[in-house]
Formats: sequence, structure tokens, C-alpha cells
Amino acid sequence: MNNNDMPKIIGFLCTWCSYTGADLAGTSRLRIPSSIRVIRTMCSGRIDPLFVLKCYLKGADGVMMMGCHPGDCHYQKGNYNARRRYVMLHNIFKTLGLEKDRIGLWWVSASEAPIYAKVTNEFTQQVKRLGPNPLREEIFI
Amino acid sequence: MNSTQKDKNAIPDKGKTLPAKEGVNKAITDFLKQSLEKKCFEAILVPVKVLDTESYAWVLLKDESILDQADPLPPVMTVQGGRALSSLTKHGEIKHKVAAVMRPCEIRAAVELFKLKQINLDNITLISMDCPGAMPLSGYMADPEKTKNTFTKIMEKWEENDSLRPVCQICQRFSLPSHLPPSPPLSSADQNDPDSSASDLHIGLLGGDMKQIFLIPASAKGTELLEKLDLSPQDSLKNWESKVKEIIEKKIKKRETFNKKWLAEIKGMSKFIEAFDECLNCHNCMRVCPICYCQQCYFDSQTLKLTPDEYFQRAEKRGALRFPLDTLFFHLGRMSHMVLSCVSCGACEDACPMSIPVAQIFTAVGDQTQKDFNYVPGRNKEESLPLQFYLEDEFCEVEVPSECEETAIGEAK
Amino acid sequence: MSNALKINKGIEEGLRDFLEFLLKSEKAGAVFALKKMNGKGAVSYSLITDTDELKDAVPLYPLMPVNAGKALSSFTLEGVPEKPVAAVLRPCELRAFIELVKRAQGSLDNILLISLTCGGVYPLKSLTDGNLKKLLSQYWESAKKADIDPGIRDTCQSCENFIPQLADMTVVSLGKKDLDKECTIILNTKKGEEYAREAPGSIVSEEIETAETKKLKEKRKEKNEKMVEDFQKDGSGLKALIKTFAACLGCHGCSQACPICYCMLCDFDSKTQEYKPVSFSSELKQKGGLRVPPGTIYFHLGRMSHMAVSCVSCGMCSDVCPVNIPVSTLFSIVGASLQGMFDYIPGRDVEETVPSGTYKEEEFVETGEYSGSG
Repeated sequence: MNNNDMPKIIGFLCTWCSYTGADLAGTSRLRIPSSIRVIRTMCSGRIDPLFVLKCYLKGADGVMMMGCHPGDCHYQKGNYNARRRYVMLHNIFKTLGLEKDRIGLWWVSASEAPIYAKVTNEFTQQVKRLGPNPLREEIFI
Repeated sequence: MNSTQKDKNAIPDKGKTLPAKEGVNKAITDFLKQSLEKKCFEAILVPVKVLDTESYAWVLLKDESILDQADPLPPVMTVQGGRALSSLTKHGEIKHKVAAVMRPCEIRAAVELFKLKQINLDNITLISMDCPGAMPLSGYMADPEKTKNTFTKIMEKWEENDSLRPVCQICQRFSLPSHLPPSPPLSSADQNDPDSSASDLHIGLLGGDMKQIFLIPASAKGTELLEKLDLSPQDSLKNWESKVKEIIEKKIKKRETFNKKWLAEIKGMSKFIEAFDECLNCHNCMRVCPICYCQQCYFDSQTLKLTPDEYFQRAEKRGALRFPLDTLFFHLGRMSHMVLSCVSCGACEDACPMSIPVAQIFTAVGDQTQKDFNYVPGRNKEESLPLQFYLEDEFCEVEVPSECEETAIGEAK
Repeated sequence: MSNALKINKGIEEGLRDFLEFLLKSEKAGAVFALKKMNGKGAVSYSLITDTDELKDAVPLYPLMPVNAGKALSSFTLEGVPEKPVAAVLRPCELRAFIELVKRAQGSLDNILLISLTCGGVYPLKSLTDGNLKKLLSQYWESAKKADIDPGIRDTCQSCENFIPQLADMTVVSLGKKDLDKECTIILNTKKGEEYAREAPGSIVSEEIETAETKKLKEKRKEKNEKMVEDFQKDGSGLKALIKTFAACLGCHGCSQACPICYCMLCDFDSKTQEYKPVSFSSELKQKGGLRVPPGTIYFHLGRMSHMAVSCVSCGMCSDVCPVNIPVSTLFSIVGASLQGMFDYIPGRDVEETVPSGTYKEEEFVETGEYSGSG
């Protein structure tokens, strides 16, 4: 497919679970879309909602937050905070009528390579349906 | 530079006349488009209308189609141009050749910020234009149509008009410094040196009946630009100069009356306090001021935080203590920090939610304090800031008044 | 039913008398309330220690030059007052103070909290336009009938939290015909009753919520719903958001005035959010042009993500905005939505943690779980 159709999705992956899971997906030769640009953080709790906001405002077609399943966080509580922050950001987007389907949060453990593959592929399709982020062209933000 | 030019206070005597059949704004934006096309600049910083609203925002643009929505001289001053320009170079010089098209007071603020090391002017060409003034922001927000109509009328005739912002009505620095009374700087900068001129290119709007604009090179950069565009400055500027001179004289007179009035209005502590009775200490004035560049203002810092005991002590001294604290300290302190560089742009007064005449007060005080140093903020890039410079023999009257021989201020012995 | 102190004087005079009693009897070392600055209607919050100065106090004046919660926070940030202070503040200001105390930005110790059933305040423009004096009598007529005065701030018109929750005392300012003859101060807590002992006046029984306040709540709720409806029709969506902030100067006055925004150096004023030259270059290349200074919408959305969950809808932000952007409407709507998600009302309980500072292990269980075919 044409590279121009491929959305640009920024994925914030936590080191211990989701990044390792993504790595496993790679070594297992699972098909991962080329839309995902990975930024690795130590924990999903490190993901500042401002990161997601900044990516969105700069024109990213999608932003993904990924972390360990609740209860399995390498640092015990980080992902609980990430969950609340995501839920609040999602609510802000929804209330203001911004495209809330461009952001998402998924729990992907270190062994869940197939889940990583499914989630990234499905999210890429979802974002494709929304079309390119109009903020890419927007001067007055 | 020939000798006649030096004598004339660094005003070039030749420019390039351009027709302005579809109005002055279009003539300017067409010129800017041309300069983009001919790669004189990679980007232009100019006010642009925001979508279909009545607001203007500074836009750094590369795409010349955006210039169709641009308005180089909007009826209001939203963000002060000096402040907008400084945001471009906070972390180093801008990597593109940029032309910044701004009002003269915005250019002067940019030059002050340059002296304060807050703007890197490498790669930046400063383009000014004759400015009739700006309309008060609050009136514009309330009724944009009416304000625009008044402003258009003012541009056509360039008459005095009470609807303009008060500090604009008395502004004699609305053009290139032609025919302003000479006041050579105390620091040894040669104010006639065109390379240290504030503007690189000036667009004259006066003297052409709004049917012509005059492109006037004010520095070597400006001359180069015109040559590159095949717009060699060969035309006479006599009409422009005489009209500018006429208006400058009127404004200088008005300014004298203005200063007298305001100095009387705020003379003495009780009158000054009264002027700031309604102040909320919101610090909007400081925030929009281009000269106030501190990331954290001293007056917002930890130094001024008190313990409850200290609050009580101060309250018990007079029986009551106003909150938020230190309203006067903030204004007088801010004054002592920035008034020597105050360019009287009026952004502060526009931003005040209580309509306090901040700009008028600061202008009156600014004029007096700048006068003592023969300093005009922003007129020249090489001219040192008064507090960054001294002469060994000066102001002896403040040292030992009774023993001092009377000298005119600034005259070295 | 609670005990209340009834003083047979007009509401403002009676309250002043009570405050004077507190100072004279040394039950309080100072009074914190609105005070006249000049004859033209300007008022400021003041810490008053002298009964002579108290004569100029106008504690119920319908103007909010600063959010009193913010002022009290700066008073108690660096310690606890050694003498009790009687503070008169509106319900939203009290709630803002509680939110700040939760964030370790102030202390409730030695503060006697006196609030009121609140009929709202006028926008600051009513003072600068010269209309305030004319509006005052109209204000009290609306208060007597517990009607929404048409001139008050938009956020006040749709405020349903006009009955204070955590005050030690509440001055009845709504729904009473004889506000110009009687001042009734409900004693909500033991502390309140202590301070009212031996005060001039008689003890009566009074209900804080009356039929009138219930009716007013309904009316305000309607206004609130209409505000949300209007927003969803005209203000929602990316383009509408951009137009709302078209005039924004980036002065950050809204954040300075906001009681919840307490950071001495706001993240959005700091180096971290400044653009490096490469960012200008890349955005120029990407879009052909960018607004400067950059980050207008980013500032507002970011500020929302930081504080909207504690927004008390006081309306200071809109009032100080030089370009009349309806900041408070927008932030109130987003704030209410965030608060609704957590069943949270900012300032109702000082022990209640702010939602953004805590979590539950079992909550939002569907979030993050991949729900497709395995």
C-alpha cells in the first residue's frame, strides 16, 4: 500500500511488559503495521497526558498508551495511575468533541505478542477510517 | 553612506514607490509574496486573520497563500510583536531567513529584547511601517465591525482621533526617526550608523494618499533586499518626509500636554495609590509586556511569600492589609525594572481587566526617566541599555549636590 | 434544623457587627473580608485587625476581585496563623480553598470559615463600565426572592453549589424577605457555635436548605443544562475550539487568576514547553505556517488536564481574560464531566482525595483490555 495512506501512530510502551511484548511479536515474525512509532518509557505511569496531547496536536493520526495489566505493574502502581490519566484525557476529548478514537490505552503483557499485533493492526484500521488528523494542516493551534 | 545622510539623522533620501491600487494592505502583502517567491526570505512573520473570526494571530508562514489572509496593520495589537518574535529564538537562532513585519513600537521592543539577549536577530530582517496607532482591544472585542470602520477612516485621512488608544494618540515614533529632535545617546553608539538601525526596511504609507507605498531601506540589509527584488530605491521621498514631519510635530505637542497631565495625576503617594485602587494584582500587564521576559517574575517568586505571622505584623501596623499583597510594590518594582526600556506600545493597558491606565502612567514616567539618560528604547541596536553603561563623570548632582558645578545632564566634563 | 445567630440589623450591617464582636472580644485576631478601596465601588480582600478599619468592610459585596480561596492559601502557605482569623468567603471560594488544602497549599487551622448562601457576583466589567452601583439594589431584590439576577457571572447563573458544605457559619443571603432588617447566621459546626457564644443577637432555629433554595437550585440546574446544550451545539469540535481561542493572547491571565492553578512556575511558562529551532522548522515544513507564540490550544487543553477535575466554576478566568474568551464556561463543562466520572465534588470534603492523585485497583475494568477475538 502507498506510504501516504499509512497513518502515523505514536505508541508509548512500558519497558517491562508492552515493549517486551512488542519485541516478542517482532521476533515471532508476527505482522505489525508500519504505522506505529514506538517511544519506550520505563512504566506506563511515566506517560504524562501532555505527551499524548502534544502528539495529537502536532498531527499524529493516533496515539497509543500501553502498559502491564493492572496488578502486574513492575513498579506496583504505575499502570493504575496511567489508567486514570487516560480515562480523564479520553473524557476531555469526548466532552470537547475532539476525535477521541485517535487515542487509546491497552494492557499488553510481555508474553502477549499476538495481542500486541492484533491491537496495533486494529487501531491502525480504526485510525485509517478517521482519515488523516486535520491538525496536521492546522496553523492556528 | 554619503554625508548628507549622516546629517539627516540616518534617514535615507531615496526609496521605491509602489502603486497601491487595491489598497495599502494588498500592496504590502504582494510585496511580501514577491520576496518569498524570489527567495529573499524563507518565512514571513506577519499578523493573519484567524479563519472566519475577527481575531488576528502572528503566523510564521512559508506558504504564500496564507498571505491572502494577512493584515500587516490590523486595527488592534493582539500579541506584542516583540514578544512573538522572541518566542522564535528562545533556544537559538531561527534556522531560516525570516522577515518580521511589525509596527514600529513592536520593532523597538524587539530591539530592546535583542539588547537584553532575549532575541537572536541573526537571519531576521525587521520591516516596519508607518503606524496610525491601534484601537483599544476591549472596544474591538465588543464591536469589531464598528472598530474596523473607524480604523479604516483613520488610515485614510491619518487624522487625530480620540478612538485610538491613548498612548497611540501621542506617539511620535510611528515612523522612521526622521525629524525627531536629536538626542544623541550617552553611550558612544553612532545613532546614524545604518547598520545599527532598528528597522531594516520601512514601508512609508504617508504622503501617497493611500494610493502608493514607499519602500525605504533603513540599513544595508534593506538596500540589499530591494536590489535583489529589482526595486532599486531611486524615487524621491519628499512627500513622505514632509507628511511624516507634519504629524510628528503635532504628536510631540500632544505628548507634552499628555505628560504634564499624567505627572500631575499621579504626583505623590496618595494619588498614585488611587490610580491603582482597582488593581487586582492579576499581573496581566506584566505578562503581555514584551520587555518583561522573565520566566518567573520576581513578584511571583518565593521571595515575596510571607508567613502568617508576617502577614499579621503588616496588618497590625495599619489596622488592615490588602490582599493580594504588594500591589504598589509590584507596579513600582516593575517600573524600576523595565521602564527605561518601555516603548509605550500599550499592550499592558489593553490587557488590564480593570481598565487601569497602566500604559499612560508608565509612558509618562518612562519619558522622564529615559530623558535623563538621553535614551530612546529600541531606536538603535548598538545603543547600550542605560544601566549597562556609565560615564565616569555624570550625574554629579546626585552625589554631592551643593559642591557640584551645574552641568547639563549627559555632558561629559 | 440548626442553631442560628439572629441580629436585628440589615444583613451586611449585622454581619459587620458580628465581625466587630469577634475582634473586640479577641475571639479572632483578624477578620478576612472584602473591604472598600475607594468610593467608586472598588473592593479588595483585606486582613483587618482594627475595628476602625472594619467600618469599611463590605463582606457580602457582589464582586470577586480575586478568589478568596487563593488569597487564603497564600496567607496559610508558609504556616499557621497564631491567632484565629475569621474569614468571610463565598461557597466556591471556600471549595477552592479546600482543594488547595488537599494539595498542601494552605491550612485550615485557626481559620473560622464564614460563608453564605450565594446569589452570585457581578463580572468585573460591571465595575469598570460604571454599572455596579446601579445594580446593587437590584441584586438584593433578586436575593430576597432567591431569583437568578440577570447581571451575574455566567458561571454563577448555572452554579448549583451555592450552599456551602464546610463552613463553620453560613450567612443566610437568599430567599428571605427581610434581608434589610435581619441578619441570620447559621452555626453549622461546634466551632461556629463556640465563636457565636456571647455574641450580640439571639439564638434561633434555622434551616439552611429551604423551599426557596430548592427552587433556585432547579432554576440554576436548568441554566446549567442549557449552557451544556449550547456548547454541544456551537462550541464542540476541533474547529469550534480553534475559533473559541482565536483571540487568545497567551497571556495566561486565566491561569494566574485560577485558585486551583497554584504552581509558582507554570509548566506552560517553563523551558520544557518552549519550541526549539528544529520544531519551528519542522512545523513550517509540515504545515506551511504556524501560529506564534506556539501552543495556544495546547496550553488550554493541558491546563484542563491538570486542574479541571478541581474546577469550582468561580468564573475568575473569564473575568480577567482581555479578549472575552468564555474560559470558565468551557472549563466548567469539562470539569463537571470529569468530576461526574468520579462522583467528585471539589471542596466538599477535605479528606476526599483529588481523583487525579489516587486510584482504585478495581475501576474502569474494561479500559485497556483487548476485547477482540483472542
